[in-house]
Amino acid sequence: MSVKTAVVGVGQTHHKKVRDDLSMAGLLREAAIRALEDAEMEWKDIDAVVIGKAPDPFEGVMMPEVYLADALGCAGKPIMRVHTAGSVGGSTAVVATHLVQSGVRERVLTIGFEKQSEGDTTWGLGGGRSGSVGAGGYFAPHMRAYIDRANAPDYIGPAVAVKDRLNALKNPYAHLKLPDITIEQVMDSPYVWEPVRRLESCPTSDGAAAMVLASEKVADASSKPVAWVHATAVRSELGQFPGRDPVDPQGGRDCAADVYGHAGITDPINDVDVLECYVPFSWYEPMWLENLGFAAEGEGWKLIESEETNFGGKLPTNVSGGVLSSNPIGASGMLRFLEAALQVRGMAGEHQVEGAKTAVGHAYGGAAQFFAMWVVRTEKP
Amino acid sequence: MTDQQTDEKVAFMPQMVNLEYRIVTSPIHQRFDKQMREGRIVGQKCPSCGLVFVPPKGFCPLCAIVMTEKDEVAVKDTATVTSFTVITPIQYQGQKEREEYVLANLILDGADSSIGQQRIEGIPHHDVRMGMRVKAVWATPEERAGEEGGGMRGWGLTAAVKHWEPSGEPDTPREQYQEHIL
Amino acid sequence: MTRDIAIVGYASTPPQTEVRETETQMLFPAVNEALERAGVTRKDVGFTCSASCDYLSGAPFAFVQTLEVTGAWPPISESHVEMDGAWALYEAWVRLHHGDIDVALAFASGITSRCNWREVSSVQLDPYYLMPLWVDDVSLAALQAQALIGSGKITEKAMAEVVARIRGGDAAALLDEPYVVEPLRAHDTPTMTDAGAAIILATGDKARELCEHPAWIAGIDHRSEAHYPGVRDLTLSNAARIAGEQAGVGKGPIEVAELAAQFSHEELLLREALGLGADVDVNPSGGTLASNPVTVSGLIRIGEAANAIIDGGRKRTLGHASAGPCLQQNLVCVLEGD
Repeated sequence: MSVKTAVVGVGQTHHKKVRDDLSMAGLLREAAIRALEDAEMEWKDIDAVVIGKAPDPFEGVMMPEVYLADALGCAGKPIMRVHTAGSVGGSTAVVATHLVQSGVRERVLTIGFEKQSEGDTTWGLGGGRSGSVGAGGYFAPHMRAYIDRANAPDYIGPAVAVKDRLNALKNPYAHLKLPDITIEQVMDSPYVWEPVRRLESCPTSDGAAAMVLASEKVADASSKPVAWVHATAVRSELGQFPGRDPVDPQGGRDCAADVYGHAGITDPINDVDVLECYVPFSWYEPMWLENLGFAAEGEGWKLIESEETNFGGKLPTNVSGGVLSSNPIGASGMLRFLEAALQVRGMAGEHQVEGAKTAVGHAYGGAAQFFAMWVVRTEKP
Repeated sequence: MTDQQTDEKVAFMPQMVNLEYRIVTSPIHQRFDKQMREGRIVGQKCPSCGLVFVPPKGFCPLCAIVMTEKDEVAVKDTATVTSFTVITPIQYQGQKEREEYVLANLILDGADSSIGQQRIEGIPHHDVRMGMRVKAVWATPEERAGEEGGGMRGWGLTAAVKHWEPSGEPDTPREQYQEHIL
Repeated sequence: MTRDIAIVGYASTPPQTEVRETETQMLFPAVNEALERAGVTRKDVGFTCSASCDYLSGAPFAFVQTLEVTGAWPPISESHVEMDGAWALYEAWVRLHHGDIDVALAFASGITSRCNWREVSSVQLDPYYLMPLWVDDVSLAALQAQALIGSGKITEKAMAEVVARIRGGDAAALLDEPYVVEPLRAHDTPTMTDAGAAIILATGDKARELCEHPAWIAGIDHRSEAHYPGVRDLTLSNAARIAGEQAGVGKGPIEVAELAAQFSHEELLLREALGLGADVDVNPSGGTLASNPVTVSGLIRIGEAANAIIDGGRKRTLGHASAGPCLQQNLVCVLEGD
């Protein structure tokens, strides 16, 4: 009982540490207008807007959908705002997809953003109090536990950091451009939250990402290739309780099993052509490769060692540069979903993976407790 | 459809927004705080699943049932480090930390839930390890920071426990603590 | 295309002026009672959506704590909106269309006693042009009330009559009270409270199995209008009107309307926008004027409108939610009994 739904247009901003050439509204419109143009639509064609972003204190604007309604063409239209911590960009896309799949709306603009230069994230995460350790400080112990558990060689994290930044060179929108980065350079750089080094951590970026989701009827009439949504799923688990495994969270496994089940994926490493997963700190790549079923427990790091997640490998991962290269938090999850869509549309330009037909987008947030995923394909479901 | 393009930079100005909030320590945390000041760490044991939570939440998050004072159990002030990191403090507005420090997750002896954000001292930071045994270093009444019943920073323990230091016992084997990384 | 979806259980905590417990502890009775009334357990819930606002508590990720009220283990399918709980209900309603699950839970919490909401409300405005003016929600509401009075559409007396009906007292005596921001008097502004609420939704046969008189969602829609009060005709509520039309308000008589009117003049404006005649029982629960826990208000309105059908014998009711300055965003939910 579901309307087939496709991504018919995408747009994103040039992600930078500071976009002082635009206001927040301007930042969103840069992404939204690109998405509308890609979709060959105008503002008036959109039925509803679903916006997502991370905590309001990051920019100091409470419930920004209220302020942004005008800039997003919502006078007389519905606009709603999703917030699921770091996974928000992904879960926002999922909500937008449901609006079309349910038949409630036909053309939905979904957008995620963060303009971190107008606030202070570390301050925001600490609720304005001293002693905030940021996300890195929170996740570092889990990464240490993974390294210990999997007996992973210490250069794996740096290798991921290098891979993603070199991939970013092929993405005109990516924030960090570090053409000279090497594994040695990363291993020599100082720790911020041991065992995580600064060069293994995501930047804070100003940026926005937008997509237009449309019904089968509208998608079929598109003059461009579209990305068909084959499955979406979200999962949440309690952040802390006896027996919880934050290194390989059940929520992530369940979320993956849900989307794979609905998309007919039975052998992930072979069935999936491109993976865009949420890696804000390098060690999360091997961790997610295991959690999402691409590698057996304890073996995720081997895929990196054998360069299978590199651009020419068996499972190109984060060819866009990933969160490690651009991190406007509220948009980061959506960028994973967006890049997956771009790949199966064959429109990823310089970072296009040849022949990509099935791509997975993944986002996570909170205490590695909120997950959102989707599977998109070139072919209709 | 496109917005007007201009070469002029958008001008920004700093706008400091000052909002006041009251931090309310709930009755259950006030009680926990009071017990801490008496030198006792008291958690709650779920009557359904039998797991012990420190600090007490007033409910079991797994069974979703309410817990009360009758479910209280005392736990020890010795613990195992289940995971940790060495923090280089980022200097943001309001940050008071200047030097590197260790933040660890601990599983207290007698508890099933782990507690986070605990400081470890008395050992070079880079010698701290998972599985290490620690004991609480209690503050004297004079040393205790913060007002009576003030907040749940450091999971409520910082009112009375200054930090943790190595106890000298042999490390806990990984199998015994690896379910409590967080 | 739409599935038959109904509200089968609703509960809210009695509003308090100052809750001492944690937000999660406060929510427990609401969620437990709603589940009980619906005759389901947490295990039966296929999708959960919550609502809260970080700026009420002054710390990010308030909803991460309140997740504990769901017993989210094993992991659940769950989402969150940083809006009024009515929008959490909306998201759950959309999700139920998929056909793979039958039961959903929407809940919301709001603790207003720890902040100065008038002050905090200013932070919701355009950060460049409006927020620096620190024009708060009461002041903006006063602008709208003034516009309405100036246009001849309402009078201060009519506002006082709304208040007298809801809070008791004599309208004439109320008019003797001083203004807080002309033309609003203290009693025209909402009583801020702390509360939590939860609603259980179910589809088709499941709803009939669980509830003798399910409150079927006959229509639900939400709309925004322009943000800047200066570009709007404040004597109208176009967003409410359109949402009402899309939700099908006019398709039949409305017996009970629970309107999230925070201020007395808003009730008068919404009555007109939604085409509610004098025979409609408006806010028998006291409405948002009597108790405003901000992010829970709209969910409570919908819950109260549902209860009127579930055990009040009514056949057609309406619940409304709003957000933003001067009723900028409006959600209307039309409920029908068999």
